[in-house]
Amino acid sequence: MFSSTREGLALALPAAIFALLLFIVPVGILLSEAFQSDTGWTLQGYVDFFAKPLNQTVFLRTLKLGVLVAGTAAVIGYAAAFSISNLSPVARGRVFGLIILPLMISPVARTYAWIVILGRTGIVNDAIIGLGLSETPIRLLFTETAVFLGLLQLFMPLMIISLLSAMENIPRDVIPAARVLGASWFQVFFKVILPLTKEGLVVGGTLVFTGALTAYITPAILGGSKVLMLETLLYQRVNVANDFVSASVIAMILIVMSFAANLLLKRIATARK
Amino acid sequence: MTKTLTFSALCCLLAAPALAQDKTLTISTYSFAQDAYKEALYDPFEAICDCELVIETGNSVERMSKIEANANDPVIDMAVISSHDALALARKDLLAPLDVASIPNHAKLYEAAKDPLGGHMAVGYTFYASSIVYRTDLVEIDSWADLLDEKLAGNVSLPNIIGTQGPLTLMMLGKAAGEESADYKAVISDIGAHADDIVTFYSRSSELAQLMNQEEVIAAPVGRFAWSRFKSSPLPFAWAEPAEGQAGGMNVMIMTKGNGNEELAYQFMDFWLSTEVQTRIAEALIDSPANAEVVVSEEVADNLTYGAELINSLNILPPAEIIDNREAWVEQWNNEVIR
Amino acid sequence: MKNLTAWAIIGATLTFLIGPFIIIIFAGASAGEALAFPPDGLSLRWYLKVFTIESFRQSFVLSMGLAVFGTLAALLLGVPAAYALNRYDLPGAETIRTIVASPIIVPGIIVGLALLRYLVIPLNFTVTMALFLAHTALVLPYAVRVVSSSLNNLRSDMEEAAVLLGCSRVQAFTKVVLPNIRGGVLAAFILGFVTSFNQVPVSLFLSGPGVRTLPIDMLAYMEITYDPSVAALSALLAFMSLAIVFVAERLLGFSRYV
Repeated sequence: MFSSTREGLALALPAAIFALLLFIVPVGILLSEAFQSDTGWTLQGYVDFFAKPLNQTVFLRTLKLGVLVAGTAAVIGYAAAFSISNLSPVARGRVFGLIILPLMISPVARTYAWIVILGRTGIVNDAIIGLGLSETPIRLLFTETAVFLGLLQLFMPLMIISLLSAMENIPRDVIPAARVLGASWFQVFFKVILPLTKEGLVVGGTLVFTGALTAYITPAILGGSKVLMLETLLYQRVNVANDFVSASVIAMILIVMSFAANLLLKRIATARK
Repeated sequence: MTKTLTFSALCCLLAAPALAQDKTLTISTYSFAQDAYKEALYDPFEAICDCELVIETGNSVERMSKIEANANDPVIDMAVISSHDALALARKDLLAPLDVASIPNHAKLYEAAKDPLGGHMAVGYTFYASSIVYRTDLVEIDSWADLLDEKLAGNVSLPNIIGTQGPLTLMMLGKAAGEESADYKAVISDIGAHADDIVTFYSRSSELAQLMNQEEVIAAPVGRFAWSRFKSSPLPFAWAEPAEGQAGGMNVMIMTKGNGNEELAYQFMDFWLSTEVQTRIAEALIDSPANAEVVVSEEVADNLTYGAELINSLNILPPAEIIDNREAWVEQWNNEVIR
Repeated sequence: MKNLTAWAIIGATLTFLIGPFIIIIFAGASAGEALAFPPDGLSLRWYLKVFTIESFRQSFVLSMGLAVFGTLAALLLGVPAAYALNRYDLPGAETIRTIVASPIIVPGIIVGLALLRYLVIPLNFTVTMALFLAHTALVLPYAVRVVSSSLNNLRSDMEEAAVLLGCSRVQAFTKVVLPNIRGGVLAAFILGFVTSFNQVPVSLFLSGPGVRTLPIDMLAYMEITYDPSVAALSALLAFMSLAIVFVAERLLGFSRYV
């Protein structure tokens, strides 16, 4: 740890000032719009927003899908990242390339692919009927399942990358050593892998959860108007009704949810120290 | 106030490259088919007017707020927009009444297009019919009421209430059910009761075309402008002629109030409404003509909303009904249909 | 046996992640008019059509420029910040961390709207400049977090030793720290590039005549038709990125840092 505070600030402040001026100030002004009325400060925008049953449903659905997507991504992500980190360097590089490949594909097209996959004549339904699981095609499109799959596919690479980057720091012999000393895989995971990769889990978890909350294209295309999420609702309010108060309320909810997720994950991470 | 400032500044920003020219006309239009418009309309006009056209595109909410924000010093000189959006702008006193004497081709328009809002606040430049596209091999459609019938359950899509097609579907379902009042309360409740039978409420005709081509949906109401996409499909699609008739709508041209560029704007409107340009645009299958003198081949006509008989038969939802009721429709829709 | 399990997990994950991509490649190679899988015959016409669409060419150049320079700018700001936050005892370190991370948790639509209404317009920036600043801000959290995560477990006594042995602080950073966090920086660059290149909601509001990012342009195209050219373009972009990763691997031995 270096002690020169001035030097440290000189390194850190440009980034902070940049984010403050370009982000926090303008977004802050926008968020404050929901609290303003002709007569002064008010919470009426929030009261009105939550009074509507549709808004409540959309809020709960968004929270549910965000948690499900982040949780599933973490489980699969750990399995995948651990498997990848044990590969030879060459194989690891190739697999890593493939993992980040979907990130490079425009979310528009990636989401669109799911319309073809999940449709009545798509390959999933072909398989279901072929295996005799159902006589008629199952409706998958425009359901929460479709949105869940789309979001998971969209954001899982972020989790895997974060976890891989953190696993870089696990000393190579620690896990075999723990195994030799008689630790079960379960113990290895909770006592060795998790503590050493918690930074990655916090980053990955926040990225995936926040990504799922604020994705626009996936719920718009795969959920449509029947499976609204907060982001699609926000867009609808701004674009159809010029309703900046609702937009401001939704933005605040999304931001609070992301912060809460980040804090919660950090809390869990420190508790395991 | 801040909003006004920001938007006007934005427009200065966007219009900045054009200021170098002596004579410019700034128009605001839908973003669709810009390449085709350039060839059929913009380039030929620039060749004769000795001016530069600045084209601003976007969705109607964006474009309307831009016009509203710049009310004191209009950046947009003329715009094309749906008839109900035009009425909303007219009610806010943002539009100038048109001097039809300055638009000689106005006389050639179908009656319905000549003064759709009253007071010459707008003039129609294109019509579109709206009916139900369906799979002839799977189902038969004789009435708008068939949309909510058992035979289509799980295979039908309706337009979203917030688009242009949504209110037209409400009107026709209302007509089929004998509901006269424009609040369409019973119709929306009925849609809500059948919500599980409806695959999705689509927003764009391109989206619907994809859903119908992959056999997700076998019947849905749609604007005639999208018909060519269905006609070219290998699947057997037909355009329904329901007992209640077809719905219809119109897009119009408007002039912003006090823009100081009226002469050029009139010249452009007149050019756009001329038989020559309307024919060219119709033949490119972009917009159906509002000019009654346009003659096109049968093949072209089949893709359009064409001919006096059809146009006069359309059920057109009065623009005032849409803007007076839309807020209530969306509210009820959100509560009962998409829950 | 252990290897087999590992490959099964990797295989299943990759199928889920890459499957849609394979479908996009073939859907783009369809001979038919509509997007479908399996495709309606094979042809390269949609792949060729992509190159004839003028607006795609323009928006590709813009998006590429934004992604590269926006990410570089974010790294220029973010790497020193990450280093300072990890190695110095800063007053208000947590606040700085939160401020720098903030762009990631603000929904894109709100960001675009806020920048447009309160920042861009009053200061009279061009749309391109505004996009550049917005994209830099968006990438900044990724740069700081990924590099931080990489720095976190890199022991600081090495650079302290370097300083004791006569290196300047800057030399200690460039000769000792940077080589050790190269993987993190590269991962941050790729993550940032991707985020910027595919960004939709922010750019939705920050567009003007002739200034449109590629994803916005693709969306606008899809509003008119769902023909397979968007699939073809997506496949081409993905091949481009595969090439970038391949080159990164060859030149930098990328995978050693993962």
